[in-house]
Amino acid sequence: MNRNKWITPEGTRDLLFEECEARRTVERILSKVFSGRGFTEVVTPGLEFLDLYDLKAGSMPVERMYKLTDSKGRLIVMRPDSTIPIARLVSTRLKGCQLPVRLFYNQSVFTSNPGLKGRSDEIVQTGIEIIGSDSRRADLEVMTTAVEALGACNVSDFRLEIGHIGLFHSLISSLRLGAEEQEEIRLLIEGKNYPALNDYLDEICANGGDRKTVEVLKQLPRLFGGEEVFDKAANLFDDAKTEYILSYLRSIYHDLAALGMKEKISVDLGIVNRNDYYTGVVFRGYIEGFGETVLSGGRYDTLLSEFGADLPATGFGVNVDAVARSLLKSSGTAARVPDVLVFGADGYEMKALLHAKELIDSGLVAEYCVLNTAEKAKEYAAAKQIPRVDIVGEETESFSGKERP
Amino acid sequence: MKPIRIALTKGRLEKDTVALFQKLGFDCEQLINKGRKLILEVPDANLEVVLAKAADVITYVEHGACDMGVVGKDTIMEYGGSFFEVLDLGFGRCRFALAAKKGNDFYGGYAVRTIASKYPNVTRSYFEAKGMDVDIVKIEGSVELAPLLSLADAIVDIVETGTTLKENGLEVIEEVAPISARLIVNTAAIKLRKTEIEDLTAKMELAVRNAE
Repeated sequence: MNRNKWITPEGTRDLLFEECEARRTVERILSKVFSGRGFTEVVTPGLEFLDLYDLKAGSMPVERMYKLTDSKGRLIVMRPDSTIPIARLVSTRLKGCQLPVRLFYNQSVFTSNPGLKGRSDEIVQTGIEIIGSDSRRADLEVMTTAVEALGACNVSDFRLEIGHIGLFHSLISSLRLGAEEQEEIRLLIEGKNYPALNDYLDEICANGGDRKTVEVLKQLPRLFGGEEVFDKAANLFDDAKTEYILSYLRSIYHDLAALGMKEKISVDLGIVNRNDYYTGVVFRGYIEGFGETVLSGGRYDTLLSEFGADLPATGFGVNVDAVARSLLKSSGTAARVPDVLVFGADGYEMKALLHAKELIDSGLVAEYCVLNTAEKAKEYAAAKQIPRVDIVGEETESFSGKERP
Repeated sequence: MKPIRIALTKGRLEKDTVALFQKLGFDCEQLINKGRKLILEVPDANLEVVLAKAADVITYVEHGACDMGVVGKDTIMEYGGSFFEVLDLGFGRCRFALAAKKGNDFYGGYAVRTIASKYPNVTRSYFEAKGMDVDIVKIEGSVELAPLLSLADAIVDIVETGTTLKENGLEVIEEVAPISARLIVNTAAIKLRKTEIEDLTAKMELAVRNAE
């Protein structure tokens, strides 16, 4: 039975012409932004051991990974994320090299999504990592690059939203809850599920949780918007650690705003990513008219220690396919048609090839016609709407592609 | 300005939401005399209303085809998805319950139980939390039939008054979860159109509070 040979697996697709061009355009633009800022590209394997993703900090849900076995029966996964392999690579292959390391990548990641949801299982992601620096300058550099990356893609309108995972961590740890309860609260905050969060926290309070901490946690998912968020938050947090985090975030916000990005930057103190390798500043990017996050990143200072290298790090990834789709939606780039079709009459094939090369060298897109008669060449040009046909014989004659033979 | 697009679950939740909009003083002319149209306008509130089946409301909101949606907690529990669930609207109240034939000792003995339900995911996670292995049979129509025909030992279903159960000789063993209508919001829309969405949510919340 091979009735599946006509179709691609669910969650995958062929990219044709304008879709393909849109993806490549985004890849080109972003690679240029990254390499222009001194990031160098790396490629990691499409297949990795499952063990790589079974970490204390930020293990990924196993049921969402594509799994296979190698020739020795060991479990292999199709790369579900790029940051973790890069952490492995830096702590092994780049051991002892000059820090910080500045890398970028542009490769597919695979996740097994529940069917019939219209989601892609294969997504191209591109992103940067700065590894070996815990400085404020590194946070600024990464976030500025994120804004610049989205800006360079020419999408209609976008927003970069910043937060700090430390606020949630410090609140939740002071409540001394079990891992399951913590995860439940995290999910409710991430889902901005105000009613259920309130009920759940009230229950924890009734069981002896600190009333004040609980009230602040209730407010956390509501703390998003512009600069006014910091003022609201200042009234809620009063211990030294969270006050420091808030003032740090505020100063980053000010610096980004001062770069003329004010209307592009917003704040959400309720960002509590599922990727729990984040330890500090976190941020996400949104594009007008696109219902999902297109960029996400943040600081991850403990991930590298899983590989025996105690290096702080920060970075972000962009969903290239999402940006490409919104680019197509707004501009509707048409697929390119050659400028000229060159046909060589019998005996003049080589002369026509040379003629085509001259046209190409002059900057035109010239297609060498492989059909066998001039009439067929003209029909072909008309059908494909190629504006000009050059027939090469003793003389070279140019025709308008719209003239039917 | 582009209108905020909100998807309503067709039927009772739609009617309750329209009543809520009327309380807020919105012009609901199109929503009341809607004919066969599926996209309707509330011009004075800059709203565009889409009518859809419950599970589709989630799909539209998740993908950003609609900015907001009104859907029952039952549908959210069964289908999941990523969106913000910002408000309990208070109407459409009922509950998920586990029910069996009257007088049956559901938890007695060691045989694996068979449960019939229109909501296999809700049923699975309920018994998973209890650490209990059960066989689940998906039924599309009147679930009450399954235990009567001895296909299942019990059912997990939505119960409002319990009349249907009683008339068929079934009784509630325990409550699984309370249900009511929820206001959900797309994760990107809440950021990109914060003021408009928060404004509408706040108005609706106030109206819900006043009704209680």
